[in-house]
Amino acid sequence: MTPQSPRKPNHDQPPRKPRLGPRPQPVSSPGTVACSGCQRRFVKSRFDAALRVCPACNHHNRLPALMRVRNILDAESYAPLPTPAGERDPLSFDDGMPYRTRLEHERTSKQVDEVFHAATGTINGIPAAVAAMEFSFFGGSLGEAAGLQFLTVCKAAVQRGLPLVCFCSSGGARMQEGLVSLMQMARCTAAVSLLADASLPYMTILCDPCFGGVSASFAAQADIILAEPHARIGFAGGRVIEQASHGKLPAGFQTAEFILEHGMVDMICERKEIKSVVATLLGALEQEGHARSS
Amino acid sequence: MPEAADPASVTAREAQAFARVTLARHPDRPRALRLIELLFSDWTELHGDRLFADDRAVVGGPARLGNRWVMVIGQEKGTDARTRVIHNFGMPHPEGYRKAKRLMLLAQKFGLPLICLVDTPAAHAGVEAEERGQAWAIADSMLTMFGLKVPTISVIVSEGGSGGALALAVADSVLALENAIYTVAPPETCAAILYRDANQKARAALSLRPEVATARALGVVDELVPEPSPGAHAHPLVVAAALKGALVRHLCDLEAQPRDLLLEARWERYEDPAPGSIPPGSPSA
Ligand SMILES: [Zn+2]
Repeated sequence: MTPQSPRKPNHDQPPRKPRLGPRPQPVSSPGTVACSGCQRRFVKSRFDAALRVCPACNHHNRLPALMRVRNILDAESYAPLPTPAGERDPLSFDDGMPYRTRLEHERTSKQVDEVFHAATGTINGIPAAVAAMEFSFFGGSLGEAAGLQFLTVCKAAVQRGLPLVCFCSSGGARMQEGLVSLMQMARCTAAVSLLADASLPYMTILCDPCFGGVSASFAAQADIILAEPHARIGFAGGRVIEQASHGKLPAGFQTAEFILEHGMVDMICERKEIKSVVATLLGALEQEGHARSS
Repeated sequence: MPEAADPASVTAREAQAFARVTLARHPDRPRALRLIELLFSDWTELHGDRLFADDRAVVGGPARLGNRWVMVIGQEKGTDARTRVIHNFGMPHPEGYRKAKRLMLLAQKFGLPLICLVDTPAAHAGVEAEERGQAWAIADSMLTMFGLKVPTISVIVSEGGSGGALALAVADSVLALENAIYTVAPPETCAAILYRDANQKARAALSLRPEVATARALGVVDELVPEPSPGAHAHPLVVAAALKGALVRHLCDLEAQPRDLLLEARWERYEDPAPGSIPPGSPSA
């Protein structure tokens, strides 16, 4: 998609001890998974233990929302935060397959009800609410249910006086919900303002990919914004821009590194460092004790 | 769906749906600057975002509605080949949204109600727009507008496309001209996403129901301002007069409310901004 692909091996990183075995198996075998950066195969359980960051090329492979949430929270502290999954089909959308059927199919095949997974717990001892978006479900798209989930998480955070940490990954709006999907940007904006009114810290971590109605609403409205290395982040998709501008895109266009250079995120954070960085920053922002009443 | 079985009728309905898009994009429809001239007096344009540039896709400044000073922000598409380029076809860059934000805060500081005239196919998609943080500019404009401590009204004048439109439409009252469209993305973009083919824009238009009557049914738009046939392009003065009446009425209602109730009502509105639905098989056009 971009001339300097985020999937390229990252030679800036110091080589690390190949703890997962020096020679990954070259062919598919049961219990192994391939790094989508370098295609090498690894034992799944160990790959997961390394948060799916490739030991060979450091590519940050996509991570399910549940793993992101569980991983940043201290063991034993994880308490799932129920968020509603919607059933509405506001436009009675049918483009060959009715939207409801498509949604049901997606739920069955991905084993996920909706885009967000959320929980409360502690991050290195600091109480927090955590939410993460499941990109594999409908491209992490921001439909009405996802908007309500985010609002529910923000309300719960305010009610309990907790800061919110949100892992954002989405292609943008859910086209099948048309204008209703667009309006979720406003709904999530209202939700973010709840956190601000309660003086509760709000942090986002932008993960590959993060675009459209999500990057242009709650992902960008945080007090502090982190990004994972090489994540593709932007408003319009790179393909759309390439067509519209009839030109070559700059090197590394719309990568985390590109947007850091242009001043849009606070830092790029290796996946294994996110927990400690978030804990440190929450500690700084909450020095005065949280939830000063407005 | 039984009626979908007849390809000829589907094609006809698609054509009908896209005709609405074409009507909303009619080149002679009154643009923001023309409407400002017809609706307000003492309009004084203010320029620049104080950060990078003056984006001519967004125009703004104080003006009087009747005898009441208000802050006006509009998306201007231009009216001929030359001005369309100057105004970038109504597609703002980040500096346009940052100018809007600056004017919103200025309005709040001096207690001026805000009136936004929305008319854009979408925010500009381009390398520079991304470099300067288009997503951040839109997100910030929405957050600012949502929290603004003065009454806010937005009008979907002709084309309300994507977050580029919503950035100026998180308002207490949302009006629309009858023949306008309000969509999650332009039908061409929707087609490219849904069917991987921008040429299926008519099919996308039929599925997405872009007409503002849909937005009204969903609860996103509060009132449709009537346009005598064939539309605002043929009757700009009549439509402007009707819009002015609606603006005065909504502004009076909003200003009569105590500020805390106004903000509470805004919160309640955006807690569930599109509660309605369109029943299956209901006519799209
Ligand atoms: Zn790899």
